Amino acid sequence: MPGEPDSCAAGGGVPAGAALPGEAGAGSRPRLAEPLVEGTVDGVRVAVPRGATILEAARLCAIEIPTLCHHEGLPPEGSCRLCLSETRGSLAVSCMYPLRESGFAALTRSPAVLEARRYVLSLLVCRAPRAPRIRKLADEYGVSPDPRFMRDPDGCIRCGRCVRACRASGPEAIALCGRGFARLVTGPFGRPPEACVGCLACALACPTGKIAFSERDGVRRIWEREFELAPCPECGKRAFTREQLAFLGGGASALCHSCRRRLMARELGKAAALEAPGGPALLRAL
Amino acid sequence: MRLGSTDDLRALRRELAARPGPKRRLWVCGGPGCLASGAQEVFRAVEEACRAQGLGGASGLRADLSGCLGLCERGPLAEVEPEGWLYGGLRPEDAGELVSETLIGGRFVERLAADPGCREKDSSPFYLPQKRHVMARFGRARPGSLEDYLATGGYGALELALSELGPEETFRRVERSGLRGRGGGGFPAGRKWRALKESGGGTRYLIANGDEGDPGAFMNRALMEGDPLSVIEGMTLGAYALGAGRGFIYVRHEYPLSVERLRAAAAAAEGAGLLGADILGRGFDFRLAIVEGGGAFVCGESTALTASIEGREGQPRVKYVRTTEAGLWERPTLLQNVESWANVPQIVANGPEWFRRTGSEANPGTKVFSLVGKVRRTGLVEVPLGTTVGALVNGAGGGVPRGRSFKAVQSGGPSGGCLPESALDLPLDFDALAEAGAMMGSGGLIVMDDLSCLVDTARYFTGFLCEESCGKCAPCREGLPALRDVLTDLTEGRGRPGDSAFLESQARLLAATALCGLGKSAANPVLSTLRHFREEYMEHEEGYCRAGRCRGMYLPEVDGDLCRACGACQKACPASAIEGERKEKRRVLPERCETCGACLAACPFEAVKARRPKKGAPDARRA
Repeated sequence: MPGEPDSCAAGGGVPAGAALPGEAGAGSRPRLAEPLVEGTVDGVRVAVPRGATILEAARLCAIEIPTLCHHEGLPPEGSCRLCLSETRGSLAVSCMYPLRESGFAALTRSPAVLEARRYVLSLLVCRAPRAPRIRKLADEYGVSPDPRFMRDPDGCIRCGRCVRACRASGPEAIALCGRGFARLVTGPFGRPPEACVGCLACALACPTGKIAFSERDGVRRIWEREFELAPCPECGKRAFTREQLAFLGGGASALCHSCRRRLMARELGKAAALEAPGGPALLRAL
Repeated sequence: MRLGSTDDLRALRRELAARPGPKRRLWVCGGPGCLASGAQEVFRAVEEACRAQGLGGASGLRADLSGCLGLCERGPLAEVEPEGWLYGGLRPEDAGELVSETLIGGRFVERLAADPGCREKDSSPFYLPQKRHVMARFGRARPGSLEDYLATGGYGALELALSELGPEETFRRVERSGLRGRGGGGFPAGRKWRALKESGGGTRYLIANGDEGDPGAFMNRALMEGDPLSVIEGMTLGAYALGAGRGFIYVRHEYPLSVERLRAAAAAAEGAGLLGADILGRGFDFRLAIVEGGGAFVCGESTALTASIEGREGQPRVKYVRTTEAGLWERPTLLQNVESWANVPQIVANGPEWFRRTGSEANPGTKVFSLVGKVRRTGLVEVPLGTTVGALVNGAGGGVPRGRSFKAVQSGGPSGGCLPESALDLPLDFDALAEAGAMMGSGGLIVMDDLSCLVDTARYFTGFLCEESCGKCAPCREGLPALRDVLTDLTEGRGRPGDSAFLESQARLLAATALCGLGKSAANPVLSTLRHFREEYMEHEEGYCRAGRCRGMYLPEVDGDLCRACGACQKACPASAIEGERKEKRRVLPERCETCGACLAACPFEAVKARRPKKGAPDARRA
């Protein structure tokens, strides 16, 4: 797997700082306008805004539900089927099932749920047997890949997070194409995606590390395409591709993430100082 | 002519109904089956012969193409009005005789009888158990002709609804009828209608699902081609009762004639003021569009279908919000099968009590089935719900041909289930079929005889579903091919002990975890065959196929007691593996046998049996 990019790359259309790989510790999205509904998750009492999902309620209770296709910053799809939990006697996808009224009771570790998750993992581990995240989940659930069904272990679990990240960012360069087992992520007509701006949103959204990219001598390679990286005007570090900056349009600058943060802090500091007694004089002296 | 009011409509309907019909008419069947077997050529020859005989308007003798007459297996068919005679197996050469003898002479041509021994259509066992409501106009009205539709009672329901009932009573009639969704699920139509009616204000949509995708099923196609206006009138009534301004009929593009007929019918209705803006001068609008699908099986699923209409990829989505709340373009939408819609005009016109008189308490009305496979008479049948499977298979279908015995009937399309002989007593209704592990589906019935291997059948249907899986959710995309691989191993002699139990647990989990209706039912072929034919699975684990279908997994053996030395098996064998002189009972030479199964199928006395191969025999596990 290629190394981590040297900056927190922003998606083509996503403002820098709105980090995409923001799953860890992601909490409930605020739906403050909605009234609260009460119920339980694994017996733990919890109140959530009406319309919140089982996943959100579970996270409020510090109950972990494994997810793969779910990403806090992207529209949900419910296609990996890993986050299944039990409610009203049947299985539901936690990342999408809306809690609409009080009295809900979701079970996230019932025998039916665990069996279903093991089944889903047994299928996905045959597709991505080497992906660390899948292996970790498989170990946790006691699942190992069955050589009989290792038909095409290409490392991709077809969760579509890359596609949704690309769409959310703007370029819509890649898509899931074909159907059934042969479905795969690709550019139009199976060729390198022309609309790609090399922003890495797809690679960072991918839970299995399937989307390969590399950076060498100021050139980023992804999707069989090459992108020249523009140097940061402050420190010279190369964080953004020229195509990405062009896509963002206007005065999008090639400031790298850390310089952007530093400059912003300086500006904020200035503003704070101006408010403080004696501040303006101090600033002038500097 | 544009009708400006319900009075105009009433006057026109009366006038058309009173207009004398032709003295005698030859209806050449234009149903899907007959067209495929050359009905168009027959019809052209008949028209030619009519011209040659100088028949035309004044003679009162004419020939027309009709909607599906039903007995497809004997096609191309033709029905004679008013006598009700049914001809079959017609060829263009028969046209002269048909015209001179029957049309002009009024005499029955014995050699062209569709069902030998039965002159009249209604005397044939094929039609005896039938009750044609949805298919009532097939053979009575020219497909898609507004004039014929009006003359045969069409738009009577709309007239009644607009002039007397009003939207509320129109809705109540449908609700009280107990109509259940004809697309397969059997969801009560009234509940859907009520949900749409009570949905928030603003735009509401109606959709007719004509995306019939089951292999071997063509009842929706026959309906859309044979009586498109009944679907359109049904939707117009729905629009009036529920306040929907727009409707869509979604038809797979492999049905070009359905699309053409529906479009022509909609245009005719619009021209007459029965569709479009300001219907019958009542200030109510209903605009209808015919949308062609790309032909993906999954687009029969409601959320995939709406995605397809919206112009997106036809993929289902997680449905925790009902379509009646947020469907097409996130607006309240009522989606029903075309056959459900076609029932609506009759329910509104004749009342719910009339509708409930047919069928059973929980399953009122009729249902169109396509009866195919190993029966003597195949075709489209419309019977009251609750009719037994046996009445169709042995009654209408005439039982299994060629002296073979009945083994199973597959109901409900690829994701339906296979039922054993005990199912012959089962009533054909939504609940009984679901309980037995099959489903109504859109109404496909495939009959199988003892030469069908149920493991192989499960493999075939699972393979079909693998091809048609959209690939969105993991269980269907990854789990179905796994099932198919195990089934393929079982049918190619690579079965392992425990495969059956493994299949069962995997199939159950697939059904429990898949995203959409297609995925949830995709395990049915495996589950239903395991439930009813488990011993065959166990035999396949050991490398034996009792049906003599899976190659290398049996040995043909001639039963000396049954063999009548006819030599049919010997003639059929491509490997010269059967020996025996004339008038001698035949023997199989195992070392030469390629286990192609030709001898088994050829024997008219069921004397060739598929025996268990000897353990360790060189050809026992040829894969």
